[in-house]
Amino acid sequence: MHQPVLWIHGEALGPANPALQAHPGRPAVFVFDEALIRQQAISLKRLAFLYECLLELPVAIRQGDVAEQVLAFAREHRADGVITSAAVDPRFETIRSAIARDLPVEVQEPKPFVPLPFEGQGAPDLRRFSRYWRQAEPLVWQSY
Amino acid sequence: MVSPPPALGGVPLPWAEADGDLPRRFSSRDALETELRRRFPEASGGLSPIRGGRLAAEQRLAAVQPARYGRSRNFLDGAVTRLSPYIRHGVLSLAEVRDVVFQTLRAGGGREAGEKLINELGWRDFWQRLWRRLGDAIWDDQEPLKTGHSPASYAAELPAAIATAGTGLACIDAFAGELVQTGWLHNHARMWLAAYVVHWRRVRWQAGARWFLQHLLDGDPASNNLSWQWVASSFSHKPYVFNRANLERYSGGRLCHGCDAAASGSCPFDASYEALQQQLFASATAEPVRSSWNGRPRRRTNPASARHP
Repeated sequence: MHQPVLWIHGEALGPANPALQAHPGRPAVFVFDEALIRQQAISLKRLAFLYECLLELPVAIRQGDVAEQVLAFAREHRADGVITSAAVDPRFETIRSAIARDLPVEVQEPKPFVPLPFEGQGAPDLRRFSRYWRQAEPLVWQSY
Repeated sequence: MVSPPPALGGVPLPWAEADGDLPRRFSSRDALETELRRRFPEASGGLSPIRGGRLAAEQRLAAVQPARYGRSRNFLDGAVTRLSPYIRHGVLSLAEVRDVVFQTLRAGGGREAGEKLINELGWRDFWQRLWRRLGDAIWDDQEPLKTGHSPASYAAELPAAIATAGTGLACIDAFAGELVQTGWLHNHARMWLAAYVVHWRRVRWQAGARWFLQHLLDGDPASNNLSWQWVASSFSHKPYVFNRANLERYSGGRLCHGCDAAASGSCPFDASYEALQQQLFASATAEPVRSSWNGRPRRRTNPASARHP
């Protein structure tokens, strides 16, 4: 990608966002997800909290269908791709794949709290917190 | 000298703004509220006194006192961090918070003073990992309930009196009011409120979880739903309940002063754990209740030794 735009979502509204870190100054957009807000009856104070976070970031703010708005923003900036950061919410993957039908999407992982994989070999036991913490605690304290 | 951007000025964008963009400059917070009402007419309520943004987050982070947090976090007026809304939206990353806490501990206090706080950051990471694994199944019971009641016996919807802070119970109404007004509740208050909804009113945890997500500035289905499931007993070995003595202790008694139910002897929480167990759960099958919300089993008082504590 030579001329990407950045898609900023609600799990990464700070300077630790790896897409913002890797591409400072590139056009970036956040979209208020109208369907989600309506479906979950999200209250105004939550939207305002997000808005205040967005005002302190170099990001254009839109509302509507997230994938459509990100693609429209990319066209306005003649972008050849979209860069974003990984998210846990399963809705992220739905939106990412909708964008990816039109433009390549690169997903960057933020710095982890604990260096343990999410899945596969070496992933922690999540059946109870105590099992997870037995594996995670010594690794977290390594950087102390 | 670099000065912070005006409260609602918005940092400048290095590219030209377009017609489709939402405004990034407001004369006041009221103007932001007016704009949001116009754009999202279905969104209920007003603004929270809690402000979003990195500046507010950094102020809170600088004020964190790990040792005091460890000692007092269970109390409503304890030294809790109130970082959760900023962490939930990535304004602060867990790794950043961890590093700042480590710096604080190195400057004084040492590792032991910060173990509880780091442990709580671990809870956040744990919930996120589970959500990543479960996806939308986070809305399903992870295990069968241990209350002795069938899932069908729980109401599907939240009673209106709870959502409108009109139960007549001073504690419950105060928590509901604070949730709706501010979008934030102390974790202990969340647990009490959730236990009341699920066990005393016998409402499905999902109804309570949806209500919390409408309002909590830090709401996400990971911490929220799994904590509701922990209270309900579909993600723990036993249901969580509390009683009046527990609530009075951790709230400094202030909620019970002036509560009509407390004055008239109709407080539904004014009972021993044994009595609540009998009253709330089908005793033939239910596990003993859990009355500690931070994962440690409650030390049961043996009646024979109660005189010699």
